[in-house]
Amino acid sequence: MSATDTSAAAGAEAGQAERKLTTARAIAEGIGQEMERDQGVVVIGEDVGAYGGIFGATGGLLDQFGPERVLDTPISETAFIGLGIGAAVEGMRPVVELMFADFFGVCMDQIYNHMAKIHYESGGNVKVPMVLMMAAGGGYSDAEQHSQCLWGTFAHLPGMKVVVPSNPADAKGLMISAIRDDSPVVYVFHKGIMGLPWMAKNPRSVAPVPEEAYETPIGKAAVAREGTDATVVTLSLSVHHALDVAEKMASESGVDLAVIDLRSLVPLDTETILSSVARTGRLLVIDEDYQSFGVSGEIGARVAETDPGLLRAPLRRVAVPDVPIPYARSLERAVLPTPERIEAAVHDLLKA
Amino acid sequence: MDDKTRLDLYRVMVLSRTYEEAILREYHADKKPAFDIGAGLVPGEMHLSAGQEPVAAGVCAHLRGDDAVTASHRPHHVAIAHGVDLDKMTAEIFGREGGLGHGRGGHMHLFDPHVHFSCSGIIAEGLPPALGQAFAFKRAGSDRVAVAFTGEGAANQGAFHESLNLAALWKLPVVFVVEDNDWAISVPRDVSTAIPSNADRATGYGIPGERIDDNDVEAIYAAAGTAVGRARAGEGPTLVEIHTLRLWGHFEGDPQAYRPELADVPGQDPIPAYEQRLTQDGVLDADAAKAIKDEASDRVEKAISFAKSSPVPAPETALDYLFA
Amino acid sequence: MAEVVFPQLSEKEPDAEGVLATWFVSDGDQVASGQLLAEVMVEKVSGEVLAPAAGRVRLLVAEDQTARQGEVIARVD
Repeated sequence: MSATDTSAAAGAEAGQAERKLTTARAIAEGIGQEMERDQGVVVIGEDVGAYGGIFGATGGLLDQFGPERVLDTPISETAFIGLGIGAAVEGMRPVVELMFADFFGVCMDQIYNHMAKIHYESGGNVKVPMVLMMAAGGGYSDAEQHSQCLWGTFAHLPGMKVVVPSNPADAKGLMISAIRDDSPVVYVFHKGIMGLPWMAKNPRSVAPVPEEAYETPIGKAAVAREGTDATVVTLSLSVHHALDVAEKMASESGVDLAVIDLRSLVPLDTETILSSVARTGRLLVIDEDYQSFGVSGEIGARVAETDPGLLRAPLRRVAVPDVPIPYARSLERAVLPTPERIEAAVHDLLKA
Repeated sequence: MDDKTRLDLYRVMVLSRTYEEAILREYHADKKPAFDIGAGLVPGEMHLSAGQEPVAAGVCAHLRGDDAVTASHRPHHVAIAHGVDLDKMTAEIFGREGGLGHGRGGHMHLFDPHVHFSCSGIIAEGLPPALGQAFAFKRAGSDRVAVAFTGEGAANQGAFHESLNLAALWKLPVVFVVEDNDWAISVPRDVSTAIPSNADRATGYGIPGERIDDNDVEAIYAAAGTAVGRARAGEGPTLVEIHTLRLWGHFEGDPQAYRPELADVPGQDPIPAYEQRLTQDGVLDADAAKAIKDEASDRVEKAISFAKSSPVPAPETALDYLFA
Repeated sequence: MAEVVFPQLSEKEPDAEGVLATWFVSDGDQVASGQLLAEVMVEKVSGEVLAPAAGRVRLLVAEDQTARQGEVIARVD
């Protein structure tokens, strides 16, 4: 289980096990607690109301806060994301949901030319304290236009923070931090970590979550597993696959992998990465986004421009090999960063 | 309409035109002998609003400092009419540290939060944020409104249609002002738009739409008054389209070879026409007109001086203000 | 002792089978009355299962296992 900067045992009564939530429920709880605390927080998006969000991120919020604060929109991403921007400019803290990251094509101008740039263009005189959350990721045969991660694209463009939780406790804490942040935050949740009853889930998608509101720091990675033989840097669902592979390899051959859960891409916690690589000398980056011109290249560059001598073996990366994500299960499994591909990459890394 | 209001409209238009003439002068002064867009004290694109002053004056006369305004890549007349800080706006246009955005935004990205003014260089994309400002105002229970200025070319962009629908659906206190200056750069209206009036499109979204055909500041004032009044009263959005006049090019440096009636254009200048009308009505005489023009000139030159004496931003600060 | 029953999610087919999709507690955990115990699915509809009483919960059905609506899926002692 991924370590967080918060005490997972906080709130547990003597004899009572810690309260567990799915990632989806944890996100909704985080949003709900901020909505209780701050009247300026509203939720805007398609199917965020009665449906509770297509991936459960806003479940229960309409019942608790009513339609004045949880607003279903028409299929008008440009209009409602822009509306979120204008509301944020006037002091509100909207949480706007883009249903699938893949849909950014229809509304990217508002996101990268407005939401992300207004603070800078105005010389810091106008703030845009909004959260743009979106579902991402594949593995359940949703094909090319509904399976992408795309966090590398958002991370590449200046002016927006990008956070990507891997587990329920971080999901809640990062959402609260994102809402409280005065900068625009893109919050990307992988559908495969949401713990949905209608999608195959990794066991770590249901985990203890503190009951009180708390912040998980943006820009700080978590060491999900300490280790000495190699450093695996990853995010989101791939953290779970990395941990599964690490456990398997530890028990089968005594290989001891360090796993770093990035949690944020912007800002990127270079220090935690470098500090682990300095110890292990071997680096594997797992990224479910497209391989080239993205997260794995960025991390490799940051190591190389600090000290290429840190690496005793060439950088290895497991990502989607620059191809659209195919529909057929056999093909999809061939391009996603599966545990099998990860294990093979670790073998490769250790041999070199 | 009372004399004071008429004179105020004239005064705002004169200030705006005087300003644009000064910017025109400053912009081209050091781009000789041949136009070099990146050269001089005011580099980059420059989209001046000469001829479109009646729209800004007529609409903004109904607005308070706490109403929101979003404008397009051609923002100066709207900014001036809405009361944006003229010194800081000019410094921003000159890319100086004392500018509204500490030189980071320039002429197309002017933000003055004191009067809730912003503008953007992406066609039609100022409409959605205006919806958001209106949403915040409505939610706070105030009668504040948001006004989004855009062009007739923008009325064919998706953001326009999405915004009209959402504003109508949520009954937001917003006014959409479409400045139809006949030209989307070099493409005339009848080559871009399937119908003759965007007021008719408004009807398609269930909101009232009105088209003013003759760039007449008083007709604009009347239509805008109705629209702003509706929004303040909680009756929702209105679209007002004004057939106005782009006196100069789309951008400075535009040779306008595509514009057949160019020779006729100066004759349609709305400001001398309004001056003549006010004089005929006994509201204005030659001395009063001169006083207004001199006052405008003094104010504008003061702003230009302020800009020129403001420091150039230090290169080491280029990464500042990325995040709050 | 209180029984925890798989909820009736389908009116059309009261005897239909569903799946115990997610346990939020482990066998033997102390639970509070009203605490979220599980999420279940029948066809497309999901439902929550709350603890009917406080006490120690004993799970009778495994996660991902099928169960019938109305079936006893756990006990709270």
